[in-house]
Amino acid sequence: MIVSWDWLKEYVSLSMDHDHLVDRLTMSGLNHEGTEPIGEDQAIDLEVTSNRADCLGHLGVAREIAALYDLDLKIPDPQPTTIAESVTDHCSVEIESPETCFRYTARLIRGVKIGPSPQWMQKRLKSLGIGIVNNVVDATNYVMFECGQPLHAFDFAKLSEGKIVVRSASQGEQFEAIDHHKYLLEPGMCVISDGKVPVAIGGVMGGADSEVSEETVDVLIEAAYFDQLSVRQTARKLKLHSPSSFRFERDIDSANLDWASRRCCEFILEMAGGELLEGVVDVGQAPEPPPILTLRFHQLSRILGIEIPTEQVGPILKKLGLSVKAEDQNQITVAAPTWRKDLTREVDLIEEVGRIYGFDKIPDDVNVPMTASYRLPSNRVIDKIRAVMTSAGYDESMTPSLVPEKWSNAFSPWSDKEPLTSSQPMLGVLEEYSKNIGAVNLLRRSLVPSMIETRRINEYRANLDANLFETARVYLTKGENEIPVQPLKLAFISGQDFYQVKGVLETIVQNVAPEVELTIHPCKFDILDPSLSAEIRVGDQVLGWIGTISKSGKKLFGLKNDATVVEIDFGILESKAVLIPKHKNLSTFPAVSRDFNFIVENKVHWQDLQSTVQKAAGDLLESVRYLETFRDEKKDGAGKKRLLLSVVLRSSEETLTGQQADEVSKAIIDQCKASHSAALVG
Amino acid sequence: MSSTAITLEEFVNQLDELRDEAVAAFGGSESLETLDEARIEFLGAKKGKLKSLQKNMGALPGENKKDAGLKLNSVKKEIQAAFDSAKSRLGDGGGDSQRDPKIDPTIPGHRFHLGKLHPITQTIEELKDIMGRLGFTPAEGPEIEDEYHNFVALNIPKSHPARDPLDNFYLSVAQSQAEQDSTLSDNPLLMRTQTSTVQIRVMETRKPPVRIISLGRVYRPDTADPTHYPMFHQIEGLMVDENVTLADLKTVLKLFATSYLGDEVPIRIRPSFFPFTEPSVEADYFWRGKWVEFGGAGVVDPNVLRSVGYDPDRVSGFAFGLGIERLCMIRHQITDIRYLFTNDVRFLRQF
Repeated sequence: MIVSWDWLKEYVSLSMDHDHLVDRLTMSGLNHEGTEPIGEDQAIDLEVTSNRADCLGHLGVAREIAALYDLDLKIPDPQPTTIAESVTDHCSVEIESPETCFRYTARLIRGVKIGPSPQWMQKRLKSLGIGIVNNVVDATNYVMFECGQPLHAFDFAKLSEGKIVVRSASQGEQFEAIDHHKYLLEPGMCVISDGKVPVAIGGVMGGADSEVSEETVDVLIEAAYFDQLSVRQTARKLKLHSPSSFRFERDIDSANLDWASRRCCEFILEMAGGELLEGVVDVGQAPEPPPILTLRFHQLSRILGIEIPTEQVGPILKKLGLSVKAEDQNQITVAAPTWRKDLTREVDLIEEVGRIYGFDKIPDDVNVPMTASYRLPSNRVIDKIRAVMTSAGYDESMTPSLVPEKWSNAFSPWSDKEPLTSSQPMLGVLEEYSKNIGAVNLLRRSLVPSMIETRRINEYRANLDANLFETARVYLTKGENEIPVQPLKLAFISGQDFYQVKGVLETIVQNVAPEVELTIHPCKFDILDPSLSAEIRVGDQVLGWIGTISKSGKKLFGLKNDATVVEIDFGILESKAVLIPKHKNLSTFPAVSRDFNFIVENKVHWQDLQSTVQKAAGDLLESVRYLETFRDEKKDGAGKKRLLLSVVLRSSEETLTGQQADEVSKAIIDQCKASHSAALVG
Repeated sequence: MSSTAITLEEFVNQLDELRDEAVAAFGGSESLETLDEARIEFLGAKKGKLKSLQKNMGALPGENKKDAGLKLNSVKKEIQAAFDSAKSRLGDGGGDSQRDPKIDPTIPGHRFHLGKLHPITQTIEELKDIMGRLGFTPAEGPEIEDEYHNFVALNIPKSHPARDPLDNFYLSVAQSQAEQDSTLSDNPLLMRTQTSTVQIRVMETRKPPVRIISLGRVYRPDTADPTHYPMFHQIEGLMVDENVTLADLKTVLKLFATSYLGDEVPIRIRPSFFPFTEPSVEADYFWRGKWVEFGGAGVVDPNVLRSVGYDPDRVSGFAFGLGIERLCMIRHQITDIRYLFTNDVRFLRQF
């Protein structure tokens, strides 16, 4: 809201300097956004919060100033002269859609002479950046910026039946507004019609046909109360926002309709002549009486944290336009003014008293009691994961939670249920590459497609060493009528090979949940290489998946180079996490190491051989370590490989003898032969 | 071996003379070679002058031996110090002759790439850390919310512009649109637009006192541009107890700003409007000559307290909310919010 310094002076004496004033206004709720000199005047831009529609007029701002500086407020009392003839004999108003228009008033002035408005009025409107039209239209605008009530002047001759019907628009109804654009209306929008065609969109904009022009002789002045929600929806749908719709959207003071109407007529009579018909056509609901509120004085310090002298409370509220009904030493009872619909409860009064008394008087060094705070276990686990990821050279990414359908369909290992669809797409989040990829409107069921995109964008920008990770939620629908679940996942992607990436995953698990044994199982996804991919389990729970992107996967996502991706469930990992490791006594006896070189069929997997070795070695086994795979078709025959491994044995009770170690070795060799037809080399 | 008896005084004088001589010799050396010669002369392990003098100790009366030893050690230290300083004056090191000329220690070491946490994560961790020291424990909640927790319980009426369907990501399951509409229409789901929803969920399950921060992703359908992104992060603090006032809020915000900026800063609160607080305020801090918006805050609205079953006449509280992206961008001088979500590693590695 821009206010003119010169204009404000009409209602309140401005003896303070500009900077002091705007600072106090800022500190009492009208944030000063800037001031521009306009000739000898100053245009002061104040931010008005949506609950303070009363400050969308100069009078409202002047009232604030009067309260802040304890000054008198001068409110004009318009008493336009009327002729004996009654307005009700010449025009009528009907409200057919009371849900969009609560009250409608009309006054009629006959015989106006259209011309320019006086210089003083033009100057003030120009200070606000408002276009100058003619004496009648300028008067309606002036009164709107004076008191916040939008008004409209119709050329009465253009209202074909001399009446006003407020109704809902019919489907496909067309309307040409004052801006000379045509708008297609729809049911629910409030139109003002002359009984036949729309002449205005209620609260939003008048029509081109009925606008006041050079030829206008008689004018009908509308002061009405339109529903805020209806005006907002209409203005938004039509993309037609006006100072009028702006005020109706924030709700107006319906008790002020008559004042505004009289004020406007007074100006028109003064500036354009003509005669005002007696009375007003006033249809619809009378304004509700303002609520009676009681403020208990002790509540002031309880909420604000400062003592405000009780004798100051009444005067502050009075200056703001509240009327005191009763007051004793404990409390004050007041009626809120009609223009302050935000004042409905005791706490609203506490805010009023506090902000006028001054929030700057509230201390910022009181004793807030100390209390312990805690770190969540999940935070500790995430910290451990982040430490591994960053040490492994992965940078953290952050990708949107919504994805296009193509990505959503490409990979959804956690759920085969449909994704959740958003009513609005995310706009502008994939601009650079994927203009034709479709709407970004599905909640992702996996982080993997987003991770592949992070690789792609880096490839595209020639950052070929991008290793990225992210922890974020995925969104999975469950059964009917159940709230979707939103489990946290960890995903990462790298151009390093499968085993390097798998090593990072294993390091995470080892670091977070050292007791967990991962097992590897086959899996099948189109976007993953069938050989270099696996499902990873912890016991019988699926922890997640790892895979190198397949050729078709690369094509689908526009990826040029190889990449391997991992996605695991955070919750499972957290449930197995060891946050406080327990000390174990170290054995003081020496270890014995034995290496084995087995010839096995290609189909024998390390995981299975390892498990056999573990079982065979028994309690003395400290560790079994994979060393190498080696193939020598000439010596071993086709379809065979050699698996080299190293076993460390140790006892916590004695030094192992060569014989003991040999016995364990023999058990290992025998078992591997029995279970995997493994032949020991040499 | 000489066994001519000497007195302690004589021995001390000999040591002092030797020290003066050595200090002069080391100080006068003009190359590492001459310094090394002097070193052998005075400090040589076998025939050095100090070593020789040490032998005189044997000729001292028994009762003087302890004092003589102390003096010897102190002189030894002084001579050694004079040598060390001469050595470092002449070019440090243990002598070029011992260096392998093929080795170039100025070649860069084997660095490894340390990954970086996202600047948003770093900002969140910093804020969490500060609030943790002030007694606020983190709380988490769902990103998919129902209208009740996102709006109704937060005192945001149906008529409020924030509830316009065009300004929210409302959700449905494509497959069973009709069923969804019929069963959830009284409380439809949407992506949360603020983390205050977490505060409601915490208060619903916990009695006062409450002192938490909720943080995470929130969603509003703004088209991405340099200052908007349809997904962003918030951190919100909530403290509810008996007698929590606006003064407590101002104090906590002041401590927060001071911690975050690393310097005591003036703060101010000025009236504003949010449906879930009354009074509502904007908090600013004074930094580098001007007031900078910190975030929105206020005393928890009695309707909110009532909606979670608290008695607003018995307990009161304050809440505040900060946009993480804004703080992060100011802190790191990032000029376009979209950089944060493009995931170009050259960007990420700067932080």
